[in-house]
Amino acid sequence: MTSTVRESLLEGTQSPWRRMVRRQGWTVGVWVLLFLLIAYYSTLIPKFGSFQVAWVINNGQPIVFLAVAQAVIVIAGGIDLGVGGMLVLTSVTSARLMEGQSLSMTLLIAVGVLAAAAIMNAGVGWIINVSNVPDIVITLGSLYVFQGMALAVLPNPGGGANGGFRWLFTGSDTGVGSNWWPGAVMITITVVATALWLARTRSGLSLYAIGSNKAAAYLSGLNAARVKILSYAVGGAFAALAGLATTAIAGRGNATVFGGTRTLDSVAAIVLGGVALTGGIGSVIAVIPAGLILFFLNPILTAMGVDPHGAQIIQGVLIVLVLMVTGVIEWRRKRRG
Amino acid sequence: MSIEQTPIEPEVTEQLRRQQLGRYLATHPHLVLVGVLIVLILITGSIEPNYLSINGLRNSALFAVPIGVLAAGQTILMLTGGIDLSASMIATGAAYVAANQSPKGAVIAIAAGLVVGVIAGAANGVGVGIFQVNPLIMTLAMSGILLGLFTSWAQTIFSGSTRMGDFIRTLGGGSFFGKSIPWAVVVWAVLSVFVILMLRRSGFGRNLYALGDNPMATRLSGTRSWQVLIAVYTLAGLFGAIAGLLLGGRVGAVDLQLANVFLLPSVAAAVIGGTSIFGGVGTYSGTILGALILGVLQSLLTFLGAGQAIQQMLYGSIVIGLSWLYTRIAAAQ
Repeated sequence: MTSTVRESLLEGTQSPWRRMVRRQGWTVGVWVLLFLLIAYYSTLIPKFGSFQVAWVINNGQPIVFLAVAQAVIVIAGGIDLGVGGMLVLTSVTSARLMEGQSLSMTLLIAVGVLAAAAIMNAGVGWIINVSNVPDIVITLGSLYVFQGMALAVLPNPGGGANGGFRWLFTGSDTGVGSNWWPGAVMITITVVATALWLARTRSGLSLYAIGSNKAAAYLSGLNAARVKILSYAVGGAFAALAGLATTAIAGRGNATVFGGTRTLDSVAAIVLGGVALTGGIGSVIAVIPAGLILFFLNPILTAMGVDPHGAQIIQGVLIVLVLMVTGVIEWRRKRRG
Repeated sequence: MSIEQTPIEPEVTEQLRRQQLGRYLATHPHLVLVGVLIVLILITGSIEPNYLSINGLRNSALFAVPIGVLAAGQTILMLTGGIDLSASMIATGAAYVAANQSPKGAVIAIAAGLVVGVIAGAANGVGVGIFQVNPLIMTLAMSGILLGLFTSWAQTIFSGSTRMGDFIRTLGGGSFFGKSIPWAVVVWAVLSVFVILMLRRSGFGRNLYALGDNPMATRLSGTRSWQVLIAVYTLAGLFGAIAGLLLGGRVGAVDLQLANVFLLPSVAAAVIGGTSIFGGVGTYSGTILGALILGVLQSLLTFLGAGQAIQQMLYGSIVIGLSWLYTRIAAAQ
């Protein structure tokens, strides 16, 4: 605590530039890393154009949205292993309901799925509050419940999605094409809106407050239970957005993929994005490039002629290195403070 | 006075008795688990009368073995406030290497498999103990690294046999005494005795509880935390490898998806058994009961002919319900 006070006092005397580096350094760093990787990728393959950009942006959407879901919950001091299950559940539900529907009906279904997911995940948050069981245990259970519900909704891969709905996420009625801006707009609008909500509004800031010190937040008059439920509701909605994106990309739903793997990807992405697992620290803006980088490693390695399975090794090593570096930075800050 | 008291009295004694029962359960939390286990066995028996035989119970026990052995690793790590998300991948890797080395004889195969567990576990321990990486992330990353390594090694240095040797197959799937007692259960029993004694009687075991309860106090009282952490993660890796060998022996042939489905059940078994994920609280005997409950549940769901959908929903509800019940009992204490 004292070091934070000291820092904020010091910030007044520092140049705005240094203050920005201190505050936004990680976010800028991850974005720069993403663009460096894209630049490197463009030298590796014979033809680099809008098709490749569209491919990365479109197919990267599920992991980006899922990572934002995880980030919102982790910032508020929780962790949700169930987001992957929610992704699968919302994806198969939307695919089953949307098959053969008109665009307006499809959009109505999409809104309904988002709302239902938010309410269900709010229920998970409520259970955590009432039961006093650690988040990780309850959401381990909700992961299985959601996965089971998904299998009940759609036992075999199938369903469909309206072409216009698919265009909304992928810029093409068939899910493949070189139109990259609809996907980019989708990511930008949702994530920037969330970032503004988190940084500028009372309810958004309360997430940081209970994430960094629950007792202090409670004593200063915040309703900790309500904020926690709110964080889970927003997380659920973003997991549903990831599910809708999955349906739009594939044009069908598949409940036989295991959501737990997707959850682990989302945790990896937020760590790379600089969100502290202890809560209270992090920005959803940095989560966008982090998710895209994790998604992007595979094609890069393939283009380099490395065995694509190496992507998993590099991803693992990268994440451990990130945490070692942040650990060292934190340690040095503490020593100086 | 006496007129007023008479209607109140039975209520008061009832309340007292309930309080006493609550207090008794709080001091003996395992009784709840034993109760749940017996009820589950009886329900299963009422649906399928054949289940209440040595053969029926044997199947549940066989299903519980890999969960129980993996959960031994989870339990000792959770006591320190850690967790091992790479346990299933360590198990798979160990089984894969053992199957590959099987033509060279059982001793070399088993040793090679266990070495995989020790190396991966020690690496986890170095990350968590020395570099202070969050255990969740360290082991998650290790899981990815192992999957990548073994997927590429499967085509290069470990290409060839994926069939387990006969000795390991007997150990994992064979039985003795007229096919009544599986060897795998014997291995689990020996390991259980070792873990329980270690946690209760050894200084190392007490260090684990202390480290999970208050890491700062433990360090100040002279424990070298990083050494304890490296040791405990290595041990958990070893348990993971043993689980992999038993599972691989039961299945016979090994692939890289072998133990994946057992990762979250192993965490669930420890949680159901009353081990706190924040460290400092828990026993392995509770975890054993948790693993047995999951094993019986599996049999029950199979007999009910429940599809994957119902199974997973029920599974999740049970994890939530039992952990909630457990926290309430602990709070009453």
